Amino acid sequence: MALSLFNILIFPGFLFLGVYSLAFEYIDRIIYARMQNRQGPPWFQPLADFLKLVGKETIIPEDADKNIFKALPIFAMAAVTAAFLYVPITGVNSLFPFEGDLIVVLYLLTIPTLTFFLAGWMSSSLYSTIGAVRAMTQLFSYEVPLFMALLAPAILAGTWSLSGIAAYYHANPLWILVNIPAFLVAIVAIQGKLERLPFDMPEAETELCAGTFTEYSGRLLAIFRMAIDAELVVVAAIVAAVFFPIFVANAWLGFLIFVIKTLVVAFILAIFRSVMARIRIEQMVIFCWKYLTPVALLQIVINIVIKGVL
Amino acid sequence: MARSFVQKAIDWARRKSPWIVHFNAGACNGCDIEVVDALTPRFDVERFGMILRGTPRHADVLVVTGAVTLQTKDRLIRIYEQMPEPKFVLAVGTCACTGGVFSDCYCVTGGTDTVIPVSAYVPGCAACPEAILDGVVKLLTALEAAQKAQ
Repeated sequence: MALSLFNILIFPGFLFLGVYSLAFEYIDRIIYARMQNRQGPPWFQPLADFLKLVGKETIIPEDADKNIFKALPIFAMAAVTAAFLYVPITGVNSLFPFEGDLIVVLYLLTIPTLTFFLAGWMSSSLYSTIGAVRAMTQLFSYEVPLFMALLAPAILAGTWSLSGIAAYYHANPLWILVNIPAFLVAIVAIQGKLERLPFDMPEAETELCAGTFTEYSGRLLAIFRMAIDAELVVVAAIVAAVFFPIFVANAWLGFLIFVIKTLVVAFILAIFRSVMARIRIEQMVIFCWKYLTPVALLQIVINIVIKGVL
Repeated sequence: MARSFVQKAIDWARRKSPWIVHFNAGACNGCDIEVVDALTPRFDVERFGMILRGTPRHADVLVVTGAVTLQTKDRLIRIYEQMPEPKFVLAVGTCACTGGVFSDCYCVTGGTDTVIPVSAYVPGCAACPEAILDGVVKLLTALEAAQKAQ
């Protein structure tokens, strides 16, 4: 009981995930700034933003449903934190591994996108409604390639469990080279999942104010921002577990390797973000269905063939 | 009365993270270009934690350019009232400060302070980006002094 509470609240739950996601936001922003040849924000900037938003007035629109409006950011944060409990951190095994936790984690990570949609819809503002519809359209485009890209390695490993996949590729590290197309597809689809450039149409600030979050302010916005940062951490941790099979038995050393692996993923995502410009929503749908999905499908075929030959 | 630790932390955060929203109340577009210039990577406002937000709901500082015309007066008040507390207004350019060359025009109410309370003024026609950044930093310094005095 005490250990479960510790896991939920401190490590790897809310406290650790919160601190780690603030650090990740800083790294993301500083790489973005350095790529634009400028100095970038000071190290405490994400913390200052969070505290400032917590200390600000929270405005709820008159037309919005007050309870749902207040509950949505908490749902987003809770879903992301729950997903983090099933991701391997200190070694091959996650805290509560079971057969099929990869599917559970992927579906838990869909909940934040659904809350973004509902948040935009409930705000009853024109900008946020358009942002919400775009968030939903985007979900239908990136989700299929992302799921297929993360499930293709699972086919080769013969298990639906994140820990099982990690253990399989740790034992047979050369097979990870087969999954390079899936890795590239996953990196592109993750940009859509996290609503970052070039797929940030749901919160395109030049056309839609702030998209789905137009009416959010104060501490509700602070929780939403924290949930998005935490989603970045969880997604980076999943990619690190599936595609970077480097694990050690020692827990402390394993944690260090986890930090390095997730930093590498965050670095790739930040570089990707800073060299891209925003595309239109229908271009995104066409790109995802025409190019990303066939590549992910090809990866699944390759993995099934290899599995059959083995 | 000594401020509590939480209040101190929030005051500190407020000084370090001023998010701005830009409103053109009838400027000739000169000051707007200078404001946009100040937001380019060359001047790197993110050093001070500043980000341009698209919506007044997220913003702390309302940057107003231009003399307030009768057309934009109601909209300016509405945008100001949509911002959550605590909020600050920065008047950029001579027209936003006093009305400038448009001050006696039939369709102009005058400077920004004739409509909403203004926290800091940045004069200049057009105000150069360095002056705008200096104005924001001075606003934050004055805010720190006010917080300390409480």
